[in-house]
Amino acid sequence: MGNYRIFLFTVPALLVLGTFFLYPIGLSLQLSFTDFTGVGIPEYVGWKNYERIFTRSRYLDALGVTLAFTLVVVTVQTATGLFFAALLHRLPAVRDLCRAALFMPAMMSFVIVGYVWQFIYSPFEGGLNSLLAALGLASWQHSWIGDPDTALFALAFAHIWMFTGYTTAIFLAGYAAIPQEYDEAARLEGTSGWQRFRHIEVPLLAPSFTINIVLSTIGTLKTFELPFIMTRGGPDGATRTLSLHIIDSLFGDYRFGFASALSMVMLILVVVVALVQNRVLRAREERAR
Amino acid sequence: MSAGVGRRGRVVRLLLSALALVLVGLILLPVAYMVMMSFKTGTEIVQDPLGLPGGFYLGNYANALSKMGYARSVLNSIGITLSVAVLVAFIGALAAYPLARRTNRLSRTLLMLVALGLATPNFVTITPIYVIFRDLGLLDTYLGLVLAFTALNLPLAVFFYTGFIGNIPIELDEAARLDNCSHFQVFFHVIRPLLGPATATLSLFVMLMVWNDFTYPLLLLTDEDKFTVMISVYRFVGNHNLSPEDLFPAAVLGSLPLLVLFLIFQRRIVSGVTAGAVK
Amino acid sequence: MRSPSTRCIAGTAALALCATTGIARAVTLEVTAWKGNDAEPAALPELIERFEAAHPDIAIDFSYISRTDTDIVLPPRLQAGNAPDVMMTDMPLVKVWGEAGLLAPLETGDWYERLDPAVKQAVTIDDQVHVMPLEIIGMGNFVNMGLLRAAGIDAPPTTIDELKTACTALADNGVKPMIFAGGFSAPLFAIANGLEHDPAAAPALGTEEVAFEDNQAFIDTLALFPQLVEAGCFDPEVQAGVDPWSTGLAEFKAGNFAMMPQGAWNIRDFSSVDGLDFVFAPIPSARDTGVALDLFGVGWSISSQSEHPEAAKAFVDFFTDETHLQALLEAESAYSPFVDGASGMAALAAPYDEARAAGGTILFPFGVLHWPKPLEAEIFDSMTGYLLDLDQDPSEVLSRWDEIVEDQY
Repeated sequence: MGNYRIFLFTVPALLVLGTFFLYPIGLSLQLSFTDFTGVGIPEYVGWKNYERIFTRSRYLDALGVTLAFTLVVVTVQTATGLFFAALLHRLPAVRDLCRAALFMPAMMSFVIVGYVWQFIYSPFEGGLNSLLAALGLASWQHSWIGDPDTALFALAFAHIWMFTGYTTAIFLAGYAAIPQEYDEAARLEGTSGWQRFRHIEVPLLAPSFTINIVLSTIGTLKTFELPFIMTRGGPDGATRTLSLHIIDSLFGDYRFGFASALSMVMLILVVVVALVQNRVLRAREERAR
Repeated sequence: MSAGVGRRGRVVRLLLSALALVLVGLILLPVAYMVMMSFKTGTEIVQDPLGLPGGFYLGNYANALSKMGYARSVLNSIGITLSVAVLVAFIGALAAYPLARRTNRLSRTLLMLVALGLATPNFVTITPIYVIFRDLGLLDTYLGLVLAFTALNLPLAVFFYTGFIGNIPIELDEAARLDNCSHFQVFFHVIRPLLGPATATLSLFVMLMVWNDFTYPLLLLTDEDKFTVMISVYRFVGNHNLSPEDLFPAAVLGSLPLLVLFLIFQRRIVSGVTAGAVK
Repeated sequence: MRSPSTRCIAGTAALALCATTGIARAVTLEVTAWKGNDAEPAALPELIERFEAAHPDIAIDFSYISRTDTDIVLPPRLQAGNAPDVMMTDMPLVKVWGEAGLLAPLETGDWYERLDPAVKQAVTIDDQVHVMPLEIIGMGNFVNMGLLRAAGIDAPPTTIDELKTACTALADNGVKPMIFAGGFSAPLFAIANGLEHDPAAAPALGTEEVAFEDNQAFIDTLALFPQLVEAGCFDPEVQAGVDPWSTGLAEFKAGNFAMMPQGAWNIRDFSSVDGLDFVFAPIPSARDTGVALDLFGVGWSISSQSEHPEAAKAFVDFFTDETHLQALLEAESAYSPFVDGASGMAALAAPYDEARAAGGTILFPFGVLHWPKPLEAEIFDSMTGYLLDLDQDPSEVLSRWDEIVEDQY
């Protein structure tokens, strides 16, 4: 009974979360069964919105785009973060400087990053194409965000560029938690750097892996800003993520009810992915102990 | 921890350091590009995209500053960001305490609710929040915006602190309880002082998010005097007929304050991240 | 410690001071528009000053909100009862907001009768008018005459054959002939040519009555694209990725491309570029004159929740006066929506004017609600997709348009 008194501490947080998350989600769920246009009175239409989502190929395509984007970003970002952390962990002299520098892209908002990278990727006289020409690699010039084959990767690259600093920082924090004795013992046994990395560091970094992968997956699944600013879902839907469909339905087409249905689908997707990931990664953490 | 001992070790370390610096330099190239372009005139940009600017042309900045209401928006951003960081840290830590110390079903359910908050995309909540704020008279107010941002960051804070507090030995709690401290006293006098590193890390993430967000202020603020830096940038640059002479100085101006703050508090923040919450 | 009487006097004096400064403007009208900033001023700053001078009791609080942001920022405000008094709108917005009862019906006085018949029909929904039209603006082909003359062509092309000839000549002369961005230029071309044979068919195509994929005119139009590529007009894969709102404009201004279908609102911006010798011509089509694709773009609407309906009406009426409207039209390079109105078009738009006079005008279907707004984005997308793979069957591409139309019902 005294046990439950302590839960009073959670009341302020619950108030905030209830008002700002539970209530809107409930409202969204309710609206997803209507044809609300964002203004006026909503009218009940049953499952029509959901039917449309699952019968039109464009939404399935968007799901594919979202998953592909997330997979690329999370994999490369985690790998890059690990690489830098492993490198900087061994170089205390430059560690602080490099970590701070890696964080700089994250300090620029999506608006800025989106516009600047759009300029860099511009087919005529953009930064990247100009650089390639200057390096004598003019044949590599390309319409990076204009070609559906490269557009998604171009966006992914900009996204990874922005957030590698986060993953590196979390991995470095994880490194700091590894007791020094392990490393010294391994060194005394004459193991190489690579062996230490594979057999000691990576397993002991399991919790950092979990945090990084879960956070970046959730964040990337939800993201819409970079596709919104850089390509608007183009060319011809090659970068139209599910979140972008929601934004378009909500603000361009005034199909609020439909957007709510899409949001519900997206919410379920994110929750399921997060739960599965969490279970798998926690199991791995246990094994690593 | 060193990469090896002796001369060979030193050479390897030197090479690796050089590699690290080069890689980091490459990563910062776009930032350099952005800064460089902001000092070029319009014609220079079109004719010579990669070259260094002829002189340090300040006309673009003069133009941007005169139209952006910069000083005011920086103050707004700083004020809002700091308020949110404080609120989030306090409410988050408070809520994390029971969730970390008890593992019963109630605790697990609450944690799942918090997770739901983390998973929700922010455009789902935008319009209901607008309506709620209208009813409460919080539209176009600093308080409203601070509350909205606090809500957005609370799930992350609760998770961070739950993990971190979980690592604090429960013996400390028990010792204080033996002295007849109430739960709140235990929290305030035992737990809170130890939260430093976690708070530092969390504050960094919160500040980044709040400073850079533009969807919430766009929707919830109509008074120009209350605009944050990102809204000023967004409004100034527009999304129609992007002109590079506007874009680059605005981009630099938008990122600058955060960069300066980071450089000043770097040591404190970074040591916080190192010592901090891995769980 | 002040005596109560001193404090009392001080208080009254302060109150009186406030009252005096307050009397200067009894009413403040909040006005929003997606014009009036540096890039597209539309003479709004001067006109607002003129209005305030003529109406000393009304102050205007003007905000520029871009068209995309208007969709994001205004609906919640409208829904919450917190809307601006006067808003710039276009027909798609009028349809959604008007049907929800959020716009005040306008008194159809003298200005309504003076409207061009096509415009009058467009703005009247169920005998109600919710928008006061401000302009009809042209969408045509910008042609860099300097580059054309250097390739031996004296006049802007108005037919498809002339276009092909011009392209070949320009390409031979080492000049990139045309910007054909999938996101705007190509759609303008497609819509202009598709509707040209039978403009009256537009409304039917926008409902489920008639399908695009069976429409021979549109099929033939799309079949033109590969022919244009063969004549050297553009590289379709590159053009699919050109952003018509930044890269495209910058490239034309830099003189790197000779022709570009776009809107007349760019005339002012292009005129400020030194040495750019250009004209604004109609879109080349099968017809001799070419097509003048007119967009009924913007107008003023009054919120039904406005607390100052008379002041709002005064503001709107101000713009029905020729002398004031003319300033806007000239800044925008647009035409008056009124039958007797003058035009704001510059001399370099003479070719476009001629096309209009010769009967080559088609109203952009989205501006007059013949086609549902979501179709616009789909057309942009599908034209981009088509440019990326010109082997596609035009009927297949057009079936995407039909799918979107179906979705509206």
